[in-house]
Amino acid sequence: MLPESRMNTFIIAQMAVSGALMGLVYALIAYGFQLTFATSKSINFGQGELVMLSAFFSLTLLDLGMPYWLMVPGGLLFGAAMGLVVERACVRLSLEQKNEGWILLTIIFGLLGFSAAENIWGRDDRPFPSPISADAMHFFGISITPLEISVAIGVFAVMGAIELFKRKTLLGKAFEAVAADRDAAQLMGVSATHTIMLSYGLSGMVAAMAGILISPITTVGPTMASALILKAFSVAVVAGLDSGFGVVVIGIVLGALESLTSFYIGSGWREAPGLILLILALAVRPNGVFGKASIRKV
Amino acid sequence: MLKRLLLLRGAELIALALLATIPLTVNNSYALGLLTLLAIYGILLIGLDVTVGYLGQVNLAQAAFLGLGAYAAGLSVTMFGFGMLEALAMSMLIGLVLGGLLAFPALRLEGPQFALATLSFSALSTTVLNEWEQLTGGAQGLSLSRPALFGHPVNAPGFYWLCLILLALVWMALRNMLSSQWGRAFEALRDSPIATDAMGVGTYRHKVAGFALGSSLGGLAGGLYAFNFEYLQPQSFTYDLMVILLLGVVLGGRKSLWGAFFGASLIVLLPNLLSNRLMFVVISALGLLVAVIAGARGWMKKTTQPFQAIAPVIAMGMLVVGGFLVENTENWRKGIFALMLFSVVVGLPDGIMGFAARYLTRLFRIDPPALPPAAALDEVLPVRRSDGRPLLELKNLKRYFGGVKAVDDICMTVRSGQVHGLIGPNGSGKSTAVNVISGLYAPTSGAVLLQGKALPTGSLFKVARAGVARTFQNLQLFGELSALDNVMLALQGAYRKPLPLVLLGLARAEEQRAQAGALALLELVGLKGQARVRAKDLTYGSQRFLEIARALARKPELLILDEPAAGLAHPDVNVLVDIIKSIHRRGITIILIEHHMDVVSELCDTVTVVDGGQVIAAGTPDEVKRDPKVIKAYLGVANGTEAPATAPLPV
Repeated sequence: MLPESRMNTFIIAQMAVSGALMGLVYALIAYGFQLTFATSKSINFGQGELVMLSAFFSLTLLDLGMPYWLMVPGGLLFGAAMGLVVERACVRLSLEQKNEGWILLTIIFGLLGFSAAENIWGRDDRPFPSPISADAMHFFGISITPLEISVAIGVFAVMGAIELFKRKTLLGKAFEAVAADRDAAQLMGVSATHTIMLSYGLSGMVAAMAGILISPITTVGPTMASALILKAFSVAVVAGLDSGFGVVVIGIVLGALESLTSFYIGSGWREAPGLILLILALAVRPNGVFGKASIRKV
Repeated sequence: MLKRLLLLRGAELIALALLATIPLTVNNSYALGLLTLLAIYGILLIGLDVTVGYLGQVNLAQAAFLGLGAYAAGLSVTMFGFGMLEALAMSMLIGLVLGGLLAFPALRLEGPQFALATLSFSALSTTVLNEWEQLTGGAQGLSLSRPALFGHPVNAPGFYWLCLILLALVWMALRNMLSSQWGRAFEALRDSPIATDAMGVGTYRHKVAGFALGSSLGGLAGGLYAFNFEYLQPQSFTYDLMVILLLGVVLGGRKSLWGAFFGASLIVLLPNLLSNRLMFVVISALGLLVAVIAGARGWMKKTTQPFQAIAPVIAMGMLVVGGFLVENTENWRKGIFALMLFSVVVGLPDGIMGFAARYLTRLFRIDPPALPPAAALDEVLPVRRSDGRPLLELKNLKRYFGGVKAVDDICMTVRSGQVHGLIGPNGSGKSTAVNVISGLYAPTSGAVLLQGKALPTGSLFKVARAGVARTFQNLQLFGELSALDNVMLALQGAYRKPLPLVLLGLARAEEQRAQAGALALLELVGLKGQARVRAKDLTYGSQRFLEIARALARKPELLILDEPAAGLAHPDVNVLVDIIKSIHRRGITIILIEHHMDVVSELCDTVTVVDGGQVIAAGTPDEVKRDPKVIKAYLGVANGTEAPATAPLPV
């Protein structure tokens, strides 16, 4: 038998580690916000529904008998396509008119997606099978499942691939150029519209990946959207909307914090620390902990 | 004037009378319930419209304020035995206080970040209502019974009339507020927050006040909601309700009391309409028809983009087709809301009432109310005695942006009553210097003194309040406001009545005086005839002059004109020179940044020349024109040769 205090330390460590792994998924969704924010200064308020819809779509592919490893690209394609729909239907017009109508329109997209999911796939949470084992392995007394490790690997793989794409390919450099200065990039012959479309497509793909990664752990249901999006928002805003490194750090911290809160205070309060952090971060550092301040010009 | 009063007030009175008499003629408790809900949602949406419409921010917290207000009222009845009015006051107070607390951090943000902050607040308050079970009963809900009003029990029609009276009071208070300086400030800060601050009006404080006011109305509506249903559950006040409230405001029409009311009736009636199959088919078909007609008209007249014409038709088409495919339309309630909301936001951005209002104004030809005669200029802008003593002193002023030394150790003294020219080639640091003086940027180091006292730094608002007014090189007018309102907004010392009196409509006299004063200033710059023209519809030259009139409304010690002649046609430059001369004659000290050397020579008593962030020459216009360093800065000199000391600058 271990003494009580050692026991407590183990529980805390266990909670923190599994929370942190969940936090990586929040970070991945938040990274999806950053992609579109970089090119267009807009984000999809219906991103949670996009995660949920992609997860349901992937589940349907599996139900139709598609093998898991074929389903993944199918799900990602679906996510990318939905991202493009969001860009066309909800974002492009208000960007052209230079107003903030996209906030309302992407909220509306989310509402429609939610209603569709509720009616097509039902209101109940459903299990999402995965070929990766969920049997616990023990490291220094902390149990981790291969499934959880696969989440971490998946998150870093996607983020790494996109970062590599942005740095190494011509298209990716166009992306960075539009992010740095939309007008100047346009004068150099880079189409801002196409780049923004690309960023929404990528963002949708990232959302789909997040859905596929997290669903085997949490199950799939229409309500997963609102639960995920608030945390992803918190991560994105606290970290800053332009720091890819920041979202990973803040995602891990927030995930751990959430898991500890839910253990010590009650599972109903699990969202509170993220929300409080978000409001505090906005009050103290509106550009995020890792963000850069901008200069006002007249 | 009379016609205007009759039509506008008449419509309100008729609507109120109709609503008030319905319970006398129709004896149907279901209908009465809907009407009560209509009045409650009316108050709620008017409050929401303050932020969504007037402040132009997407506010996702109003449903939370409804809930918080409802619980505040409910708990003050169940725990403390409050009467009706005290409990309602309590719920308003909760809305006001929490709204203020949220607004302080949240309104430093713009657009999406603000929406996120309010979204988190809503989620947080739902969590608290759910989890603080000792207080709220958690998910079990809170039962209460409607308290007495002045010791008398209130029956259902009585409660309905109470709600209606409160709606009418809120309506009148908001109308008074929106037609006062507050309403102008709300309009202005959406157009140009920077100029709102620079005119000493204060963007932030007006935003916070507006948000807190809207939240307190949310709280009040919550109190009424609690007494209407007599049972509360945290799940009633979540994100879903918020989206429906937004639907109401946007569909009804933003920035309109009638729009909010129309939106409220829509929200109340929609669930009933959707549950009836035939009604749904009729409504969706009507929606499609409107979308097709509006889209086709817009396309023909080329007033809308193709997307704006097509997308609503597609959305409405989905609604019609979906109506035939789906078995139970009620299950798709959210989807139906989404499609309708989408069509309105894209195709009819002003909402249904915005559209109707434009049409009705044209139909009845309602003129704006007549203006008072202009005040005497001496009253508005008294002639000052200038003594030539130092008014503004820059001491070793520096402002760096990273490694760029935009302003690098500038010393300058502006004497009272003078026109002080500040010239230099492009990128020399003139504008940055002026932006530091006027508070847009904080200096990296150094001091700015006004009349020997340190001028506040880093705040446009505080500097403006200290007596410095400015114009902007890139115009920062309030485009949606009329020329008159632009000047009235900035009019210093004109608005002394506190907000409660404004809400009661007891500030009309000072409004009239402000109009007269603003007209005098418009006359000074030759725009009196265009007082009612929207600023963005004025010619470019007139816009420049309007900015000067607006800055003068601050009755400044020091007026900074940032390239007032930039882009002006030659005849307008002459008008400008005359305007500046007449301002100078009134004893106002002026800093003039200008590229036109002839303008500078004609107007300036003293000129300071900067280049590379440093002062390279100072003196009378003639002296600096002959200064070799100045000629070198402007024209450049080949290496090794000296510029001829006598060659004057070309003008």
